[in-house]
Amino acid sequence: MPSVSTQITFIVVGYAVLVALLALVVALRKQERPGWLDQLAWMLEALLVVRALAGLGALGDGPPSTSTYVGYLIASVCVLPIAMQSIKDDRAVWSSAVIAVAAVAVGVVAVRLEMTA
Amino acid sequence: MTDIPRSGPHKVLLAFYALFTVAAGARALVQLTTQYDEAPVAYWLSLAAAVTYALGWYAIREASAGRTAFASVMLWVELAGVLTVGTLSLVEPDWFPDASVWSDFGIGYGFVPAVLPIAGLLWLRHQKRGPKPI
Repeated sequence: MPSVSTQITFIVVGYAVLVALLALVVALRKQERPGWLDQLAWMLEALLVVRALAGLGALGDGPPSTSTYVGYLIASVCVLPIAMQSIKDDRAVWSSAVIAVAAVAVGVVAVRLEMTA
Repeated sequence: MTDIPRSGPHKVLLAFYALFTVAAGARALVQLTTQYDEAPVAYWLSLAAAVTYALGWYAIREASAGRTAFASVMLWVELAGVLTVGTLSLVEPDWFPDASVWSDFGIGYGFVPAVLPIAGLLWLRHQKRGPKPI
């Protein structure tokens, strides 16, 4: 049975892939960015916060923390808010692609988290 | 800075460049401070890559507002950097006991480092022809 944080990571990665694919579909169909895509992105952010809290909680009793691991934890929760800020007033086609990039990025960060944990 | 167009492909490029500035910079700083002796050349090159991405981010931001001069230089510098470091890492593996960001043309990052400057230059060419936002 994998640890709780590992299980959350599986969910995060799967959900990040889903958000990235949907964002890509929206962008490729040249639609304006729909509101539900923003909500999906913020849901992903919420999952990442849960993952980060689980990661921080495990720091106390787990193996000695590495600066890399903590760096990935911080990065994982910062990427999406910054990306969303950069497209705040922009609902045009390319703004969905920004969400796709950010979702892939946090997915990769989540995978790296497991590798460095 | 009010004349920066709100939307367009540059938003995606800017996202990539910001991401890679942080990714390469954090990696270089961690490796330079914790394991400097293992592969100093590779780690310094990673830091150089991070600086290149930061400058590239600024260059694309400027170019999106019509000031393309800096990007015309910076994106070529970046492409030259990726190609040089990528080739050296294959030809002279002894110089790279540990990987750098641009090792093997950015294989550790899904070759995005090799694609980014090319995508940037293509966008820049389009941008120079007609500076209208898409």
